Amino acid sequence: MSKPHYDRNHHVEKATDIGDPQCFKGEAGKPRFKVGDRVRVRNLPDIFYTRTQGYVRGAEAVVAELVYESPPAEDESWDNTENVEWFYSLVFKMADLWPDYPDYFPNDTVETEIPEHYLEAA
Amino acid sequence: MPSSIRDKVHRHLDICRQIQPALHQETHAPSPDMIDNAHFRAYTRSPHDIGGEPDIPITWEEKEEEVWEHNTFVTCEVLAWRGVWNAEERRRRQNVEVGETMYLGLPYYGRWLLTAAKILVDKQFITLTELQEKMDEVRKRYE
Repeated sequence: MSKPHYDRNHHVEKATDIGDPQCFKGEAGKPRFKVGDRVRVRNLPDIFYTRTQGYVRGAEAVVAELVYESPPAEDESWDNTENVEWFYSLVFKMADLWPDYPDYFPNDTVETEIPEHYLEAA
Repeated sequence: MPSSIRDKVHRHLDICRQIQPALHQETHAPSPDMIDNAHFRAYTRSPHDIGGEPDIPITWEEKEEEVWEHNTFVTCEVLAWRGVWNAEERRRRQNVEVGETMYLGLPYYGRWLLTAAKILVDKQFITLTELQEKMDEVRKRYE
């Protein structure tokens, strides 16, 4: 019986003394969005694995910060680290996320990090 | 289009809350026409994505980590240093691959420890027979 061969050490060698996601710095190319841009979260299938919360899908947000470059969780969790992309810290208005959010807190927001391939211009 | 996505998101969260595992609930082996697209998505989502699902408040308690929890953490870190998994694969296995029943039902480090054993079997570093024999050997020390 044959056994699969796992390339066990490539990630630990790349990240040792540097850190993850710091070890992917410079691999994502030019970012599609900049701070202040309005974006909308794509409603991609969430089968098997995702870290893009269901409750932000289809909602609009403002880019607060470009935080780091990394493979998306969906890829890195199977050790696919070739496709590195920018991660954006996005600010959503709570009232945009929750239909019954009370009117007397109109300025409440939530901020969370989403990878670039989930985003489209709003 | 976005507003219809938002409607789906909130319907999705309602369904997810309803399918949280409960004992004595007759949901086994549904016929295909009992599962529409919305229910398929709810069942196949990543069960750690619980944000927005209504639930009752739970009591917050200050609790120091126990020795077995520290040992479990160190074991999982060493598996990463030896290239058995990276942090994201560890999270996927601990939070999603365990399934919704174990995600909600086991203690936090219980899921870490179970997953550390599982990946060694999945990637054929040990066989399941070896694991089961070792567990039986250790259990006998306490009988």
